Amino acid sequence: MTDTTATISRGSHISRILVIARHTFTQLVRMKVFYFLAVFAVIAIGSNFFDLPQHEGPESVGVNVLRSIKSWSLGTMTLFSVVLSIVATALLLPKDIEDRTLYTILAKPVPRIDYLAGKLLGVLLLVFVSLALMDGLMTVVLQIRSSMVLEQQLAMAQSLGWPQEAINSLKLETAAQGPSWSLQGAVIAVFLRASVMASLALLISTFSSSTLFTTIISFLIYFIGHFQADMRNAYLQAGEAGEGVFARLVTLLISLVLPDFQNFNVIDAVIEGQTMPLLILGKLTLIALYYALFFTVASWFVFAEKEF
Amino acid sequence: MPYENHLAKELQTLGLTPPPIEIGTRDKIGQTSSAVALGGLRTLVATFMNLRAFSYFQEQRWDELADTFETIVDLAPHTRYYWETGSWHSAYNAASYYMNDSKLSPLRRREAWRASIMKGRSFLERGIINNPNDWSLLATLGFLLSDTNKFPAFRDPDKSFAAAAEAYRRSADTGNAMPYVRRAQLYSLARVPGKEKEALTLARSLYAGKQNRTPTLLILLFILDVFENPNLDATARAIEIFGTPEKAYEALSGHWQRIGERFPVYGVASTLEALEKTLNIPKEKSILSEPLRQPFNPEDLFVK
Repeated sequence: MTDTTATISRGSHISRILVIARHTFTQLVRMKVFYFLAVFAVIAIGSNFFDLPQHEGPESVGVNVLRSIKSWSLGTMTLFSVVLSIVATALLLPKDIEDRTLYTILAKPVPRIDYLAGKLLGVLLLVFVSLALMDGLMTVVLQIRSSMVLEQQLAMAQSLGWPQEAINSLKLETAAQGPSWSLQGAVIAVFLRASVMASLALLISTFSSSTLFTTIISFLIYFIGHFQADMRNAYLQAGEAGEGVFARLVTLLISLVLPDFQNFNVIDAVIEGQTMPLLILGKLTLIALYYALFFTVASWFVFAEKEF
Repeated sequence: MPYENHLAKELQTLGLTPPPIEIGTRDKIGQTSSAVALGGLRTLVATFMNLRAFSYFQEQRWDELADTFETIVDLAPHTRYYWETGSWHSAYNAASYYMNDSKLSPLRRREAWRASIMKGRSFLERGIINNPNDWSLLATLGFLLSDTNKFPAFRDPDKSFAAAAEAYRRSADTGNAMPYVRRAQLYSLARVPGKEKEALTLARSLYAGKQNRTPTLLILLFILDVFENPNLDATARAIEIFGTPEKAYEALSGHWQRIGERFPVYGVASTLEALEKTLNIPKEKSILSEPLRQPFNPEDLFVK
């Protein structure tokens, strides 16, 4: 193959994937999935009213509401993104078979990996856009509310004649509960987890017989993934506990194949006001990328052999 | 797998992922919430549980309330609000409820009152172990231990004030605490017998900052100065600190009446006498001839 042919081939790979991704995205948008944003808006605004009577000093007034907004919003984002990534991916292959679109596509010189990668990219684009919209809404609500809280606190601090350094410390403490880069990092962590789930659902859908089966198995694996650390520890400490070969093999298999979803639970710490270092986000991205690629390549192996 | 294992440990060391949920907590929050919490929504479940806890508070179901907060802090161990609120419910709300619970005998009321305060204290101390750099939790512990209405529950007031001073010191040393915390450290330290020298050093350093010159700080500076230098001209020192004899008399009179708070009173009576002479206050109007206000003593409530 000459250099020119190789470039054209690579270029057409990417363009094919992008075309399929755009089509998938449009297909999913037409299913009116964005209606859930209205529900999210209600939740994000509603969480402003969970202002329980508090006993803390005047310097803490309103801070609990900021935590409540983050907790409700990120919780809803996690839920929506996981459900969306699993259900949307589970729907794609059966729907393409039902509509006969799959036959038309595969009858053309479209490599199956391009088809799968395009489908996955389409779903990820949908999840990304949804999360970006939700993130935007959360940030706006949080910004407005934290400005109000800060204003109230500063008025209190000035009326009590606090020194400037104490006021600065108060500002920093309240700002940590408002919109921050760590919060954006948490949203990215939510997206990464959803991406791994989407690629896993894609793998299941390549051999599953129905959408329902794919959805149920994906959710099961999602929950098992939260126990992966237990399996890993069981495998690593198996020698000490004296487990049998079978138990060691099972724990090894689960530890190797499934991601440790607990690692993505950094969002809880961010809600509590902690800072997430950029390096940690980078490491999470690497892990998510590894699993997404692994599941996609595995899907290709299964899908490549499939007869339609 | 080794990479993930390493990352999981790193995240736990940085406090970015909480320890696994205990089996007891999984039982308490129920299967559905357990699944939600495991799915990475621990703080959301904690928020729900907090709403439930508020209902228990309104219904005055103290045992359920305490249990719920145990669960909440297991789900969100780094949220200051939950530790402080859980402790507050036990040490203040439940304790006050038992204090006035007419269905119980005085002895049982007393024990329930004391047990609630102790429970609130230990809950807060656990919060501090989980969040050692949180200035507010430490300051709240200091406040509880030096609270006039609560310290009788801790049996030995001297030890309570020493522990309160230490809590305030740790809080202020975090560098994030509000300005009152260092002053509160002094107010507790001054009440610990044998710590007068240390308290005087602190009082002097606080006095150097004008924003710290609260009436209590000025009074303690005066008292500790007199304690340290018995030959000091106390009246002149009082006028120097407070500005005028009238202001000195007013401040020290108020302090003389605050016996319930167990502040030291070295040299206060003699200075008041001297100031009364300077200000020509007749004997019948002397603050020293007025009966001392009886301090609030929770023990009195348990004899009926």
